[in-house]
Amino acid sequence: MYYPSSAVTQEVMSAPKAPPGRFTLLYFAAASSFTRRQHDFLVAPLPLAQLYDELEKSYAGIKEQVLSSCALTLNLDYVDPEEEASKGEKGAVIQPGDEVAIIPPVSAG
Amino acid sequence: MDDLTEASNHIHTLRAQIAATETQLGTLKLQLQQAEHPSLPPTTEPLSPPQTGIPAEWTNATLPALQENVQRDIAQRLRQERGLEDAPTIQAASQRRRWPLATHEYSRYGRQLIMPEIGLRGQLHLKNARVLIVGLGGLGCPAAAYLAGAGVGTLGLVDGDTVEESNLHRQLAHATARVGWNKAESAKAYLSSLNGNVRYDVYKCHLRPESAVEYFGDYDVVLDCTDHPTSRYLISDACVLAGKPLVSASALKTEGQLIVLNNPPAPPGDATGGPCYRCIFPKPPPAASVLSCGEGGILGPVVGVMGVLQALEAIKIITAAKPMATDDPVKPTMLMFSAYSNPQFRSVRMRARRAGCAICSSEATLTAQSLTSGSLDYVAFCGAQASVDIVAPEQRVSATTFSRLPMGDNGVLIDVRDETQFGICALRESVNVPWTGSAERWVQSARDVGVDFEDGRQMFTVCRFGNDSQLAARAITETLPSTINGASAKNVRVKHIEGGFEAWRKEVDPTWPDY
Repeated sequence: MYYPSSAVTQEVMSAPKAPPGRFTLLYFAAASSFTRRQHDFLVAPLPLAQLYDELEKSYAGIKEQVLSSCALTLNLDYVDPEEEASKGEKGAVIQPGDEVAIIPPVSAG
Repeated sequence: MDDLTEASNHIHTLRAQIAATETQLGTLKLQLQQAEHPSLPPTTEPLSPPQTGIPAEWTNATLPALQENVQRDIAQRLRQERGLEDAPTIQAASQRRRWPLATHEYSRYGRQLIMPEIGLRGQLHLKNARVLIVGLGGLGCPAAAYLAGAGVGTLGLVDGDTVEESNLHRQLAHATARVGWNKAESAKAYLSSLNGNVRYDVYKCHLRPESAVEYFGDYDVVLDCTDHPTSRYLISDACVLAGKPLVSASALKTEGQLIVLNNPPAPPGDATGGPCYRCIFPKPPPAASVLSCGEGGILGPVVGVMGVLQALEAIKIITAAKPMATDDPVKPTMLMFSAYSNPQFRSVRMRARRAGCAICSSEATLTAQSLTSGSLDYVAFCGAQASVDIVAPEQRVSATTFSRLPMGDNGVLIDVRDETQFGICALRESVNVPWTGSAERWVQSARDVGVDFEDGRQMFTVCRFGNDSQLAARAITETLPSTINGASAKNVRVKHIEGGFEAWRKEVDPTWPDY
């Protein structure tokens, strides 16, 4: 399926700092095509295990079509939402000011 | 391949025999000297001119160490440095020549040779290295060029595809004159003219699970320069099973990724080994979401920079002087390149080996047997990308039939390609409503630009290949009845043009741009 490339922000810009009480969510590759955004600011704190459900509310279908096969980083370190979910209350919680990145596998070349 | 291996073995044997004979000759001359002049103390002084270029008093200390390092298999060395394998028996420094490199090699490689990261030791490692490049496309061309340039001893080139004109904007090892050639052959032609000192092994085929582990066994480092999830999982699995480090990169549109996997290449179940592709991406992306460069587009320098970085990582692995210092599990970084973002480069730390990984953990369910027997179906694992076939026969029209229909007030043609493609070529009076993946969103966009689904006119949808046009046609029939007050689905008539503009070009208008 195609997404209009022009819908993806093409101008050179870095993600601005998240406003108070929010964290930065960066979208790469297919995640950026699907959301047609390069980043969002979501309300923190948010348990990492709930991130995908939260995104599904804003972007219907993203969980199955994109997130299920993605790598995820929290402050530049790999995190696994399923592993965090299995830890229950001890699972990682995204804090205000954190940076989370959604990294879909790119397979072309 | 067998012939090449045989020839290589023969050359190897001959060299070893010559070296052994020269050593024997040296010993005989020494004995003769001592017999003729029994008063002189035994000497280690070389007889003829200094044989190595290294001061004589250093020869015995330096050369064996140098050659021992060089002659070890690089993957094996990485394992040994991690204590994963016993050290090899030190081979005799039997191949002494005056200088370790040929005269022309000093001048050819001089600019990197004087770098402390490379030096003579690193150059000898490169010369003895065997690197396998799977895929000679946008990644493989620059990767192969830089590795050949750097003097890697043997480059294996695997590709079953042929060079197409649409490759040439980024696959710089190929050439206009070689369109139609096998890509591995074409790359060899380019690389041979770049550096004829390198040995090129050409495999004019796609990598297959049955033979991948065996192929990989002959090489020190593997580069994944392919373009599909099936080959990415296969190459990673085979690298784990063959015990080889993997330099993996990819690119699409304006973005690229680079990661070194299975490094050090510890056996499955050893948590100190580097993670594999499955550890990072255990689930393949849905087949329908996977875009090729032909579908999604690719900017030449984007894929080029990723291929160049692969060559760099391979050189680092081959010439690494020191073992990795820690016993902690290795967490490699993934480098992400995004040409239109700021910063353009980002590095994120990936994970160590995944405890339940299907191939590299102690709970591994996949083995070399799974691959060689063909029981592991990578196409099924990643999902076959079937062409879309979802609309009823009465909702289809061929390009030829459509071309003969009167349009004007009788019909509306909706072109669902994105704005960029629409801007390249479009049919007069067509309306552009790009398909975005969501039926509701698309129908709304169509209404926003003035498409009236309720006026009773015949609707037509068209796209590049005839897949998205079906999704759009279905969106119209399935979404509209619930969104239009009082209008029934029967009032909405829509057909999609089979085969899209590709069919249009073949059947109706041969001048239609074939982009």
